[in-house]
Amino acid sequence: MPKAMGAVKQAVPAEIGGERDVAMAGSRAAGAVASTRKILPIVEGVVLLAALLAPLLLQDYLTVFATRVIILALFALSFDLVWGYAGIMSFGQALFFGSAGYGVALLARDLDITNIFLVLPAGTLIGLAFALLLGGFLLLGRHPSSVIFVSLGTLTGSYAADRLARGWYYLGGQNGIPSIAPMSLGSYEFTEGPAFYYLVLGILVVVYLLCRFLVRSQFGLALAGLRENEQRIAFFGYKVQHLKAIIFTIGGAVAGLAGSLYAFHEGFVWPNMVGVVVSTQVVLYVLFGGSGTLIGAVIGAVIVEGVSFWLSDNYRDIWPIILGLLLLLVILFRPLGLISFVLGERERVGSFGARSKENVKEKRNAP
Amino acid sequence: MANAFVAAFEILSFGAIIVLIVLGLGIIASMMGIFNFAQGEFVLLGAYITYLAYAKGLPIWTGMVAAPFVVGGLGFVLEALIIRRFYAAPIVAMLGTYALGLIIRESVRGLIGGFYLTVPEPIGGSIDIGAMHISAWRFTIIVITLLVMAGCYLLLSRTSFGLRMRATLENPSLARASGISTPLMYGATFAFGSALAGLAGALIVPVFSLYADLGLRFLIQGFVAVMVGGVGSFIGPVAGAGVIGTLSAALPWIMAPVVADVLVFVLAIVFIKFRPQGLIAGKGV
Repeated sequence: MPKAMGAVKQAVPAEIGGERDVAMAGSRAAGAVASTRKILPIVEGVVLLAALLAPLLLQDYLTVFATRVIILALFALSFDLVWGYAGIMSFGQALFFGSAGYGVALLARDLDITNIFLVLPAGTLIGLAFALLLGGFLLLGRHPSSVIFVSLGTLTGSYAADRLARGWYYLGGQNGIPSIAPMSLGSYEFTEGPAFYYLVLGILVVVYLLCRFLVRSQFGLALAGLRENEQRIAFFGYKVQHLKAIIFTIGGAVAGLAGSLYAFHEGFVWPNMVGVVVSTQVVLYVLFGGSGTLIGAVIGAVIVEGVSFWLSDNYRDIWPIILGLLLLLVILFRPLGLISFVLGERERVGSFGARSKENVKEKRNAP
Repeated sequence: MANAFVAAFEILSFGAIIVLIVLGLGIIASMMGIFNFAQGEFVLLGAYITYLAYAKGLPIWTGMVAAPFVVGGLGFVLEALIIRRFYAAPIVAMLGTYALGLIIRESVRGLIGGFYLTVPEPIGGSIDIGAMHISAWRFTIIVITLLVMAGCYLLLSRTSFGLRMRATLENPSLARASGISTPLMYGATFAFGSALAGLAGALIVPVFSLYADLGLRFLIQGFVAVMVGGVGSFIGPVAGAGVIGTLSAALPWIMAPVVADVLVFVLAIVFIKFRPQGLIAGKGV
């Protein structure tokens, strides 16, 4: 595979997303392209700054809420990697989120393990293992699986896990596992509040940067190509199914990390966490924010959760209806999500190699 | 002996219910290539209309007759306004219909609240065969399911409407060239599938009572049944629904219900993985 990557590295950036850009190339000078490229870091900076300042400005109970939102943003990131970058519709992302949550809850309940350096890696591993099993089964094999099969397969997996969790006494049945001991570091215990918030934010930033590095690498470019035109990437000699399985597993690991944080933050886990409800919730975040941009997933989670928190006090009954309508409008008219109002098409796809103006120009003029 | 008979009846009646629900889902999936996530909510709407008729003091069967027409009409309108834009992209269609379903489901939830509302059976009582009693309404559902199945089959295989529908499915451009209005056919197919869902909802509401997540409960089972049966024909999803419905109802008799529940899904997914074309491959009726 690495050999193939080297061979096509020149061709890939020019091909991906190229068709749409070529149409605009006449009116849009290379300089303009260079200037639009700067928007993404600005957006990311603003979001980070807002996130850093939030606990200072918010009341205590809102900081707790904000922590939950940050964890869900991490979860959204995992779905965005899988759908936004590789075009795998994972309708069962909650399976990895929730099973990691259950896993760490069991560690805390039965083995009294709450050390942060043990539970978070354990949760991540659980997510990774489940994703590897499910993704390996659904994606790999002699015949490539259809998109429909993969999306319905993940959905079914999540639904089956939900039913299993509801009916299994060991996992607490309908009630789930309540009052999980707080996560600890030596004698310090992470309880809800600013400390937990900054811990989660720190983790989100680290994971975000790792993901950003990943999707801007050659691997990420191959993924973006996969999303845009799977067949073409296959013809380049990539093992498409392997690429998909790898990113699916990574996504599962991130979801597992988010799930274990969520379990300790809320202090309990319940069957919905592995089920279809949470699975579709994360799809909503990413579609709203904008799939295929990592920051879009984060923004989507913040907006959906924020607005629903704000509206559900006064308009509890009609909020889900509004959510559905907005989602429909976004799908119909803004398929790239809200982020596409500020972010150009070009920035969704990673960049590769030296990106001087001449370089860009030369590539665009290539036939 | 009596027990075995009652068990067999239960299994058959649940199988019939699943077949009834999957009929519409299967027709839309096979003929149009769209996995309609709003199908569960069409079932819910059918149930709700029946409940409305009952609540207004009308005979229940009026609601049951009205449900398929109202839901079918709604399906036709939705197809023309929204679904039509999704044909090129199956995944986007899933998301779009999911959004539609969310809107319908939450609207109904707003209307009925978080309650379980019961609707009495229009044909109450039980049929007694010797010492055994079976529910008359469940028996009626089985009969109606058989009739609807036969009706759909005849419609698709014997009428010119069915012929045009299949032509549109198999080769849209040739169908257009032959003077068939494919957009109209898609609209009609979607409306037909929705109407079947409405009918299913109307018939099952006395058995399961009305609550907002009624449709969701059957949706995933329905999708799995369609995949197991095979997308592309009318008979495929029906066969899949028979298998899934029978298995879901039969397995809990021989093992713990939780295990049975999950096992059905696992078996189904494994089956589809190794036989992607489903039980009955091929296009047509």
